[in-house]
Amino acid sequence: MSQFEYLRRVSIGQYLPLDSFIHRLDPRAKIVGFISLIIAVSISNNLYSLALALLVSLALIAASRIPFSFAIRGLLPPLPFLLLIATLQLVITPHAETSTAVFGIWKISIYIEGILSALRLLLRFTSLLLILTTLTSSLSTIEMINGLDLLLKPFQMIGVPTANAVLLVQLTLRFITFLALNAEKIAKSQASRGAKWDMPNKNLFNRVQQILPLLIPLFTSSLRQAENLSTAMLARGFASNTARTSMHTYHFSLRDGVFLLLLITAASILFLF
Amino acid sequence: MAALIEILNASFQYRPRHTEPIQALNNINLTIQSGEFIAIIGANGSGKSTLGKLFNALLIPDNGTVQISGMDTHNPGNHAAIRTLVGMIFQKPQDQIVATTVEEDVAFGPGNLGLPADEIRSRVTFALSVSSLTDYRNRPSYLLSAGETQRLALAGVLAMQPLCLIFDETTAMLDPAGREMVMKQAKTLHRQGATILFITHLMGEAAQAERVIVMDKGKIVIDGTPQQIFNQNIEEIGLEKPAALAASKMLQPFIPSLPDNLLTKEDLFNHIPRYEGHQSTPSLPQKRTMSVQSIITASNLRYRYMLGTPLEHQALDDLSISIGSGNMHGLIGATGSGKSTLLQHFNGLLRTQSGALSVAGIDLSNKKFDTQSLRQRVGLSFQQPENQIFNQYVGDEVAYAARQLGHSGTLANAVKSAMETVGLDFFAYKDRLTYTLSGGELRKTALASALVTKPDILLLDEPLAGLDPLSRREVMGYFKSMHEAGLTLVFSTHQFDSIIGEMDAVSILQSGKDITHGTPANIFSANGSKLPGALKPPFASELCSVLKTNGWPVPEGIIQINKLVEVVAEIIKGTHV
Repeated sequence: MSQFEYLRRVSIGQYLPLDSFIHRLDPRAKIVGFISLIIAVSISNNLYSLALALLVSLALIAASRIPFSFAIRGLLPPLPFLLLIATLQLVITPHAETSTAVFGIWKISIYIEGILSALRLLLRFTSLLLILTTLTSSLSTIEMINGLDLLLKPFQMIGVPTANAVLLVQLTLRFITFLALNAEKIAKSQASRGAKWDMPNKNLFNRVQQILPLLIPLFTSSLRQAENLSTAMLARGFASNTARTSMHTYHFSLRDGVFLLLLITAASILFLF
Repeated sequence: MAALIEILNASFQYRPRHTEPIQALNNINLTIQSGEFIAIIGANGSGKSTLGKLFNALLIPDNGTVQISGMDTHNPGNHAAIRTLVGMIFQKPQDQIVATTVEEDVAFGPGNLGLPADEIRSRVTFALSVSSLTDYRNRPSYLLSAGETQRLALAGVLAMQPLCLIFDETTAMLDPAGREMVMKQAKTLHRQGATILFITHLMGEAAQAERVIVMDKGKIVIDGTPQQIFNQNIEEIGLEKPAALAASKMLQPFIPSLPDNLLTKEDLFNHIPRYEGHQSTPSLPQKRTMSVQSIITASNLRYRYMLGTPLEHQALDDLSISIGSGNMHGLIGATGSGKSTLLQHFNGLLRTQSGALSVAGIDLSNKKFDTQSLRQRVGLSFQQPENQIFNQYVGDEVAYAARQLGHSGTLANAVKSAMETVGLDFFAYKDRLTYTLSGGELRKTALASALVTKPDILLLDEPLAGLDPLSRREVMGYFKSMHEAGLTLVFSTHQFDSIIGEMDAVSILQSGKDITHGTPANIFSANGSKLPGALKPPFASELCSVLKTNGWPVPEGIIQINKLVEVVAEIIKGTHV
């Protein structure tokens, strides 16, 4: 087991070339469907809606054949922060004067409003992370680019440089893996020369102290890599003023329509309650 | 008709902020006709890559003009057309991959040309099959091996169907099979009418071109056929003769029938005459015995990357190895054979998943071993030093491990002595910015920073890859003296021709297994056939077998050219007496 295999811990942003119903859908259906779901989950504040959202996200993972262990692993890194915020919610959520404390620890009383609020927060973020994982594992970058390109075309007519915006999205995703691999190389290089990367470190201050020397070289190496990448892109005819085309032609089929309708219905239910 | 590439009085300066401008190209004049096969050689920093970037308008000359099929690169309106004509493949394959799957990356270039979907699909299929990547079509592009990524970069350029291809040190990080494959593809494309420009550090590759351009300090110093170039004294500017030519020059006094211009191995092998003289095999001097006391022992190591994900793959498969104290031990294998994974086990960066491992008396299979004392005793220098250097100044970089792990004497002295071991002058280099270093200097800095704690074992991952001939010779000299000083050196390499004679033992790795091990003389003599397909025996042992089939009584186990020449001299002397 290696504590340096950062890529192993990143599940958002990694496309998994699986063969599933979700993978075969038209990218436009996926983008619009998933985004409306994401907006609904972000806005909805109803406990039952959010519980439903979690069910929907689990169903999506199953339908796209992504191993559950892979999806769950992506939840682990932000979990401490989520728990911290949830604990704060427990304590600081304002409660009605009529409500009585459910239980009290030391001098702090916990009210039902606090518990519900913490629960909503956990449900919301878990669903969001799972939905994002499903989206990025089932939508390859080029599909995303082409999908966004097609969806944004109307804006191009009024002079918005949508092609560049789309490429920006693509390169950001490409850099998630770049960054994970670069961080691995630098951390290994530091550890091999005595940096205490592989010792369990519970002290938050020490952890921050450890991460700082990684960040600056990570930035410089990534900038260098970005420069190389942009050179390679130019060499392959990027920014040549010709409209970009794609190897894929997309047909919005009945299947795509049904999927989109389902997700939008789910989103509306979440949204309305 | 205009020449394909026409350069007139072109100069180019890099202007980094805060430092003096660097004159990368100085008054270049060059004409390249369509259909030529040209190699561009020169030491690190001689301006080869900068020149390459002028050809497809990635850089525009400060003075003078560059015209591609009559189109001036000063006019931005021409750039799209120029880049369609001239494709370029760079040294670091992973930095050229735009998309996250293989087929979509190949489709990026044709997409930029605005081709219809059918045409893009057929070009992608074609480019993938030419680069033998058809089975990888839907793989994530960032999880390919170095060789596969390089093939992908090539496929991405081929899909644009350029008339001219520039290979910018494309082969530097590849194993012999990978290099040969790239060269073969360049030749095939050339036969089909493409113009090829091959920028390289490897003289054996340059010798296969029709025309060679030699660069030194931003200027073209010689331009001619390989025969003309390599018969001149190019050692003065940090280059060397191709191995076959060097060997034939050394053999000529004893085999006068060898002609003057044998540039490639095949040429030399075809000109070895039959030996009709006396059949007495000279004996070889015994090499000093290697250490039997092992300092590293591993048994039944297995390792899987991305464990528990859909991308899981095996890197070590039931591997056992023993490395003698004070030995120079080579781990030889193709890319992806598990060499780097094994080295990273030896200093505890990767923890054993199953099997037993003991290094310098520390049991690494025990999860709670003392990492700090292990790393003080075991230094590791990674592949591609630019990835391992993370400080701004050379002095800080070298001092890092000493600050973390302790040192004997003052810190300055520890750093100074480590830098001097690899020929870096302390006062000249300690305040140099690491990003301004050349390839050879980067490698030396990386070595010094692994040596600063005075380790007992030095692990070296491809320490000779990407170096020009001069830096390669220098760095090898330092390894020899470290070895003589009693340091245990573990090398992972697939470019072992020049260092093999110094090694005490080698292990041949394939698919995470140790398929054979022993002294280099044993491994590369009788059972050379045991080598995995991606590897080549040393040039000297290949030449030995050719001599043998021509009746020469050469003994078994010669792996160095100078030894072979001595033996041939003795055979000839014997006949005349």
